[in-house]
Amino acid sequence: MTNQSNPWLTSNIWVLGLALLPAALLIGALLYFTAWAIAFSFTDLALVGRKSVEWSWVGLQNFERLFTRRGFLESLWTTVVFVFFSAIVGQSVLGFMLAAVLRGTRSQLRTIIEVSIMLGWLLPDIVAAFLWSATTSQTGLINQLIVVPLGFKPINFINEYALPIVTIANVWKGTAWSYLLFSAALDSVSREVVEAAKVDGATPLQRVLLVQLPIIRPHIATNMLFITIWTFTYFPLIYAMTGGGPGTQTQTLALFLYNQSFSRGNLGFGSAISVAMLIIVGVLSLFYLRLLREPK
Amino acid sequence: MESNATTSRMTAIALSFMAVIWVSPFSWLILNAFNPDASGLLEIPKSVGLDNFAEAVSGDAGRQFLNSLIIAAGTATLSVLVGIAAAYPLSRLRIPGRNAFLWTLVLLRMLPSVGVLVPLYFAAQRSGLLNQLGVIISLTILNLPFTLLLLKNFFDTVPIELEEAAYVEGASLLQIVTKIVLPMSRAGIAVVWFYSFTGAWNEFLLPLIFARVQDAFPMSVGLYAAFGQQGAINYGFLTAFSIIYAAPAIGVYFLLRRNMNTGFAGVGVKG
Repeated sequence: MTNQSNPWLTSNIWVLGLALLPAALLIGALLYFTAWAIAFSFTDLALVGRKSVEWSWVGLQNFERLFTRRGFLESLWTTVVFVFFSAIVGQSVLGFMLAAVLRGTRSQLRTIIEVSIMLGWLLPDIVAAFLWSATTSQTGLINQLIVVPLGFKPINFINEYALPIVTIANVWKGTAWSYLLFSAALDSVSREVVEAAKVDGATPLQRVLLVQLPIIRPHIATNMLFITIWTFTYFPLIYAMTGGGPGTQTQTLALFLYNQSFSRGNLGFGSAISVAMLIIVGVLSLFYLRLLREPK
Repeated sequence: MESNATTSRMTAIALSFMAVIWVSPFSWLILNAFNPDASGLLEIPKSVGLDNFAEAVSGDAGRQFLNSLIIAAGTATLSVLVGIAAAYPLSRLRIPGRNAFLWTLVLLRMLPSVGVLVPLYFAAQRSGLLNQLGVIISLTILNLPFTLLLLKNFFDTVPIELEEAAYVEGASLLQIVTKIVLPMSRAGIAVVWFYSFTGAWNEFLLPLIFARVQDAFPMSVGLYAAFGQQGAINYGFLTAFSIIYAAPAIGVYFLLRRNMNTGFAGVGVKG
């Protein structure tokens, strides 16, 4: 531990205090912006033209509007579907399965899969969005390799199955994170425990599900916490692929917030959306943190 | 045994199938980028050339590359400077409420950055910072909780005995920091720098809102504007542009991975 009586520190206490200042100012700014986001949510702050704004206090009207007008609840539902299928079902389950299957194998196949899912993860969001837009378009890879050779008419996937496509794209892009975390977690399970189960006659599947899975439960909760929150607020991939469309089919909360605030200029209402998102994310975090603490 | 062999063969087939699906967009990307007559279809090019790459580094595209570089390098450098200045005192001093402060940072890290978007935009507009400098400062603010935590952890691993010894030898605070603490946490600082760099390089939302003129677009917004537009898509240009845009993030990752290792091993003796 550190010691307050370090003489080179105590004699320079003002210098050190001064060094803290820029960071303190920036953290202060972050808190200040958060406070303003909350304050704005009680106004009808709106962009008028390019530069000027108008506002007045409207109390809880924005929050009422969240629940009475179209948009918010639909976007919340879209977000829940997107997060559930891309992060929880897709990335976590696929990441875990890959980690469990590839673990211990030293094949070239493992290298190829690891490198390719890492590349997906490292790709800038907009490049991934471009790749998947191109792949799923009328003239894209899926039509060229599968649909047309089978004798069907080309399908404009990105338009007709927009939500499934952005969900798959996000699984493709993000599985590496879960895979890496679960690989590390499975490595931490002691060999003896697994061997003992093997001696007792457990099948490979039973060993994974009944022995390893319960042991790495904390890692699963950590993973869920991170990817749920991250996916919940994730913006670039969907925005660049569909812009929320067609219609509002892929409009998640982050896109709804963006569209209201910056396309329509409704900054007050946009702030109310962000406050609602803060609350939802806060509740989600508490839920997962409880899950993390509980394994007794 | 028999069934085990069958299972493992089935697994291998399933994995191969998955690998093919996973990498096919990459092969499409590469084949089109090196094909001067790229049509957006998966096909073996009749001729291979770098014309697309030449196009992707000249004119507007070249400027966008430069803009991305300014934003990413600026954010990373500012984050590291502010982070070092604060993380050293945080690591060494028993400041009252230090733990509460660090926990607040962890919580801030969990909040979605879209939540502060509106006030951030508003503040930038008021102070005339709807430009690259504004993007750099905003990203530094959003990065800071993480940067501080990481750098403080790295500084914590530098043994304090070395600083004591240097003080006894008559070294000043500045000398202690620049001659002992910084060199010993060099790998950690590199990790934080690279992490901020790749994050800012990838950033799309802030530049989209802040940079409303073509000249200020970084590569993320430039690529989006190019493929989002209606009409004929120039696949050769876009695929080459994508590869150039993705290369630093991928390259930096492999650099970062090596640094991560030396970062934890090289700091060595735990204080």
